Amino acid sequence: MENQINSAINAIKLLRSSVSNVFETTLSAQNNSIQDESSFLLELQDQLSTVDVNFKSIESTINALNVPSGPFTLGNTAVLNHEADPDRQGVYTDLVNSYNWYEKTHLYSALANTMLSQNSLKRSFYTSSNKRRRPTVPVNPAQLVDHMINSINTNNMTIKVYRPFGTPTSAFLHVNLSRVMKAAIILRGLVIELVTVKGFNEPLDSVDDHWIESRYAVFRKIQDHAHCAMLHFYSPTFAELATRSFITWLASYSNIFSEPCKRCQRFLLNNLPPTYRDFRSLEPLHEECRH
Amino acid sequence: MGVTILTPYPLQNKSGAEAIEELSKRLLALGATQAGQFLVDGDIFEHSFKKIKIHVMHNSEYPASVFSILDNGQKQIPLITDLIFDLLMLKVNPIYSSKKMIKIESKGPRFELGDFLVKLGSVTMSQNQNFKGILIEVDYRPCLVPAFCWDLIKEFLQGLLGQQAPTAIPGYFTNTLPSNNPNQHYHRFNDTYQPIDTVQQYLEHFNNYRKQSQAPTI
Amino acid sequence: MDQPAAAMDSLLQALQVNIIPNQEYLLQGSVLDTAVQRVLHRLKGLCDNVESAPEQFSDYEACFSLGSPVTDQMQAQQQPPLFLRVIRKTSEPVDAGTPFQLRYIGNPELGDAKRPTLVRASFDIACSPTICDFLTEMGCQLKFEYTIRGYLFRKGRMKISVSKIFKINQEPISQSYLVELSVLAPSGHDSVAEDMRIFAEKLKPLVLLEKIDYKRLAQMGN
Repeated sequence: MENQINSAINAIKLLRSSVSNVFETTLSAQNNSIQDESSFLLELQDQLSTVDVNFKSIESTINALNVPSGPFTLGNTAVLNHEADPDRQGVYTDLVNSYNWYEKTHLYSALANTMLSQNSLKRSFYTSSNKRRRPTVPVNPAQLVDHMINSINTNNMTIKVYRPFGTPTSAFLHVNLSRVMKAAIILRGLVIELVTVKGFNEPLDSVDDHWIESRYAVFRKIQDHAHCAMLHFYSPTFAELATRSFITWLASYSNIFSEPCKRCQRFLLNNLPPTYRDFRSLEPLHEECRH
Repeated sequence: MGVTILTPYPLQNKSGAEAIEELSKRLLALGATQAGQFLVDGDIFEHSFKKIKIHVMHNSEYPASVFSILDNGQKQIPLITDLIFDLLMLKVNPIYSSKKMIKIESKGPRFELGDFLVKLGSVTMSQNQNFKGILIEVDYRPCLVPAFCWDLIKEFLQGLLGQQAPTAIPGYFTNTLPSNNPNQHYHRFNDTYQPIDTVQQYLEHFNNYRKQSQAPTI
Repeated sequence: MDQPAAAMDSLLQALQVNIIPNQEYLLQGSVLDTAVQRVLHRLKGLCDNVESAPEQFSDYEACFSLGSPVTDQMQAQQQPPLFLRVIRKTSEPVDAGTPFQLRYIGNPELGDAKRPTLVRASFDIACSPTICDFLTEMGCQLKFEYTIRGYLFRKGRMKISVSKIFKINQEPISQSYLVELSVLAPSGHDSVAEDMRIFAEKLKPLVLLEKIDYKRLAQMGN
C-alpha cells in the first residue's frame, strides 16, 4: 500500500516537472523570437508527449490504488492538512458558488433547448383580425397608476402596488378589504387584465397565487362577479375612470358577511351570503335575487 | 379557520344517539356531506397543594397542537404548543397530576355544507364514558371576525335547529376583558378569531358539565 | 371513516415505537476568541452547507426550574428540579408569528468510557409567546438568562454550533466560544454516537470535543 502511494506521488512529481518544462520552453521561445520556429515546435511536441506519458502513468498508478476503508491514522501528520490560513481558504466558497452556478446554467440551458426545439417559436400571438378587436393599450407610465391609487380614498381598504417583473406598463394591485377579503388586480396600463379574490387568511403573495382559486365558495362566487364587473366597467377611452369605478365597486364588499340581501332580507341563500353588488347602487343582493 | 360558535343542544326526552341521528339526517337533507369524525378532549392537571389548574386540550381540527389554559383563580393564561407538550406534562407528574375522573371529551360526526363546517359532538366524561349532553359546533370558515358574521351564523343555526337555536351572542365573546385602557371596554367580539378561541369555548362548556356532575356529590 | 384517536394515545404509541426524537447525543468543547476563525474555516470545509456562508443565529435563552413542593422535603431530595428553557430568536427577521421554543433537558448520562458521547433526554416544543407567563404562573422560577450568538453548521444529521454567550447587558461571559456537536435522535440510535466521534476526530487539534461531566465541573468550581 505504502509503495503504491509512493510511486503515485513520484508520478505526480514527474508530471509537474514535465509540465513546468513545457511552460519554460514556451516562455523562452517568446523571449528570443529569432529562434527557429520549426525546432521550437519539435521541442514542444517532444515535451508534450512526455507530459502525456507521465499523465498516463499517473492514471494507471491511481487505478491500482485501493479505496481506503476508514479514516487514516496518520498521527501528527494529520495536522498538515489543517491548513487554517484564512487567506488561502477564501477561494473555496467562491469555487463552490461558481461550480453551482455553472451546473445550474448547464441544466437550464438543456431544459430550454428541449422546450424550444419542441415548440416552434411564434413571434406574435395576434392575427390581424384579433388586432382590430383588441386595441393596444396606450402605454401609461407608472406614475399614472401610482397617482390613481393615491387618489382612491376608501375606508377599510388598503392598496399596495407591486411590479413583479420590473415592467413599467403593468402593475399588481393588492387590495386588503377590512379583515374580510383580499383581492389582486393585475393592470396593463390602466386597464384591468385579471382579478383574483381570496379570503383574508389565504395566501396571495407569490405570483402563482394569482391563478389559484379561493378555497371558499363565497370568494369564488365574488371572483365570478368581479370578472363580470370588470367587463361591465371596461372602457379603453376612459381607462382611469373605469378602473376607479371598479375599485369603488369592489370596496362595497367590506360588509359581505354583515349585511343581509336587500330583496329577501336574509343573510343566507344556498349557504352563501349576498355575493352580488349592484353596479350602480352597490346594494348587496343574492345572485338569485337580483332579477 | 374561521369563526366558530359552540352551542349546547337541549335533548328534550331523546337519547343522545337519537338526537345526533336526527340532526345528521337534517344536515344531509340540507345538502351537507359528511367529512369524517372529530374529537375534542380536555384534561385537567392540578397542582399538588396550590390552587392552580392546567387545562390541557386537544382538537382534532388542529392535530399537531396542544392547547393549554392555566387557571390560577384570578386569570387564565392560554398557551399553544406542539404535541410533544403532552410528554412534558408527564414529566411534571409529582407536582401536577392529572385528574382522570373529570377528563371530558366531545366527539361525533363532522359535516361540510358550503363554507360551513358543522360538528355534532356527544360529550362524555371520565373513563366510563358517562354521557353528558350534546354540543354543536358551527364554523363559518371564510370569515375571521365574530362581529362581522354573528348575524349570519345565527340565521344558519335557526335554519338548522329551529326553536332551539341560540339568540344571544355566546358569553365568551361579550365578556369584558382587562385592557390597558380602563376607560375602554374590550371584548373578543371584534378581535380576529384564533383557534384557541374555539378551545376556550369548549372549556367553558366542559366546566359547566363538570359542575353539573359534581353538584350532587357535595 | 375512522374515529380520530385521542391525541395522548397516539403520542404514547409514537413514543413506544421510538419515532419521537427525544435523546440528544452531545459533545462539547470551547475555543478562544482568537482562534475561532480557524475553527469556522475548518467547519466550512467539513460541513454540508458549504455553498452559503454559515448560518448565523442569535437567541435569547431563559432557564426556569420547577422544584418539588417545598413542604415535601424528602421528595425534594429524591427528585431533582426540572429545568425548562425558553428560547426566542432575536436576529432579524422576527415577527409576531415567530414561535418561542420550550426545551426540556434531562440529566446528562455520561456512561462508561466505551460510550463516545454524552446522552441526555431533550425535546423541543414550539409554543406561543405566552410561555413565560405560563411558566411563571405554573410555579417555575427564573434561574438565569442570557443571549447566545454564533454560527450553525450541519453535516448529515449532526448539528454543530459555534457560539458565544453574553449576559443580558451584552457583556461577553468569557473570552471563548462554545463549540457543540449534537444529534437529536429517537432512543436506541446509538450508532450516531460513533459518527460523532469520527467527526470530532477531524476537528482535532483545533478544538477538542469531549463528554463534559457537569458534576465534576461543579466540584472543580468549589
